[in-house]
Amino acid sequence: MKKLRAVLIQTPLWIYFVISVYPLVWMISYSLKNNDEIFVTNPFGFPTHFRIENYTAAWSQFNIPRYFMNSFVVSSVSTVLIILFALMFSFAIARMRWRFRESVRLYMTIGMFMPLQVIMIPLAILVRDFHLTNTYGALIVPYVAIGLPFSCLIFYGFMKGIPGELEESACMDGANIYRMFLQIIVPVVTPAIATVAIFQFLSNWNEFMLAYILISDEAMKTLPLGLLFFQGQYSTDWGGMGAVMTIASLPMVIIYLFFSEQVENAMTVGSAVKG
Amino acid sequence: MNRYLSNKKAIALFLLPALLIYSVVIIYPVLQTVYRSFFNWDGLSTATWNGIGNYRELLEDPLLITSLRNGLIFALVLAVFQIGLGTVLALACADPRIKGRKLLKTSYFIPVVLSVTVVCQLWIAMYDPAHGLINRLFNALHIPYQQNWLTSPTVSIIAIAFVNAWQFMGYQFSLLYAGVKSIPEQYMEAATIDGCSKWMAHRKVTIPLMKETYKFCLIVAITSGIGAFVQMLIMTSGGPGTSNYTLTYMIYRYAFMESNYGYACAVSVVLVSLSLLATVIINKTFDRNEA
Repeated sequence: MKKLRAVLIQTPLWIYFVISVYPLVWMISYSLKNNDEIFVTNPFGFPTHFRIENYTAAWSQFNIPRYFMNSFVVSSVSTVLIILFALMFSFAIARMRWRFRESVRLYMTIGMFMPLQVIMIPLAILVRDFHLTNTYGALIVPYVAIGLPFSCLIFYGFMKGIPGELEESACMDGANIYRMFLQIIVPVVTPAIATVAIFQFLSNWNEFMLAYILISDEAMKTLPLGLLFFQGQYSTDWGGMGAVMTIASLPMVIIYLFFSEQVENAMTVGSAVKG
Repeated sequence: MNRYLSNKKAIALFLLPALLIYSVVIIYPVLQTVYRSFFNWDGLSTATWNGIGNYRELLEDPLLITSLRNGLIFALVLAVFQIGLGTVLALACADPRIKGRKLLKTSYFIPVVLSVTVVCQLWIAMYDPAHGLINRLFNALHIPYQQNWLTSPTVSIIAIAFVNAWQFMGYQFSLLYAGVKSIPEQYMEAATIDGCSKWMAHRKVTIPLMKETYKFCLIVAITSGIGAFVQMLIMTSGGPGTSNYTLTYMIYRYAFMESNYGYACAVSVVLVSLSLLATVIINKTFDRNEA
């Protein structure tokens, strides 16, 4: 009876395991097949003959390396800037003493409740007027701004908890305020920096809507955008399409598998803040 | 010390970059969107004042009803699938007898880190009427339920919402699982000693104590439904016809395809108002139950 119950509890978990993972296994396996195998001879099973040529063709014929580079530049530069600006901002709000800091903090929080759709139209016009269309700046500047409210809130929470004695001793030692920020405060909040870095890099790497509206130049497209292009090109060649999708997904999945605990924490930490 | 920490020049320097970029890219556009929603404007030439004309026109736009209906269906699919099934999975996974918990949690979360383009294209293949996994599965099980998932005007919105629900299931699951784990084990023990079955104890103890988690999960599900767009764009281009339109799709079409910026801004204002309204209502409802 006890055994049966344990099995009963396990069943839904493993059923959903299959629902969650099998589509991906199916994608990888058809990326290694040709059309005949996918459609007729072997639609469900593992590939019998690994057709690596799907991958070499996908990599060499299309702009995949370029998309990767664009995504990497945009995501990493904006992540670094978000962290830098958010640390500075939160320090001034959480640790320094001045009159309007509570209002300024609230002003920054408003941004968390604004859906992208409400800034999209004027933003597209701003990007055009500043002549940023089809440059890295067209994505980096908005990504930094969008990432700020959330990151500031996380850093603010961490910095609030630092004991005042740390600052006092730095002050006694004659460090000026900038050195104190860099050498005392920043090292203390390193765990928060890791969380924010993972969260922001991931969201920027996968961001689609703004990139779709702000970038039209083939050479500037990020990965999610570039993949869209294959849909038209490759619609009859499932093997090639599968190869492109697998290549594009691999880096993030590997990063996730290595840092799964941290990624899950970073992605869900927002729940403690919003709501 | 006080003088040290109220160094005006330093404060200004620390605040400036964040405040500047945030004000220009977030706050200014939000105000612009509201302001421009009262104008006829093509984005280039001078705008002309139109009062509440855009909003009046919007009320008679048949796309608005379609979009609101689709947003609602999308939100419901997310709420039922992610929160309902997510709760069952989170409670089961928290059971001490479960083996392979780490593997399960990891595999649920993998789709979350994938690009939405990859997920949508994978599901286009899954839904393919002739070669897709879904129809073949029904075929293999001899259930006559095969259909053109993405081209049917009635089923496609649910099929599309399911893709989003599938991708972000792991996210909601993590939140719910953390919620279950945050409840002290003594509570469950006390309830079972009092003669509650495990299921009963979860219903009476665990779930009520997870109110904050549910509140957040529900807000995420409902606001994602109201704002849905990318899945429709990639998988069906809003079609067949305009049957898969959402508010964001309307904004996209009116602003970026028809250069009717003023009108699109009015749609944006409706969208953000609905999102905020939903958030407030959910917050109020959950807090009232507290008293």
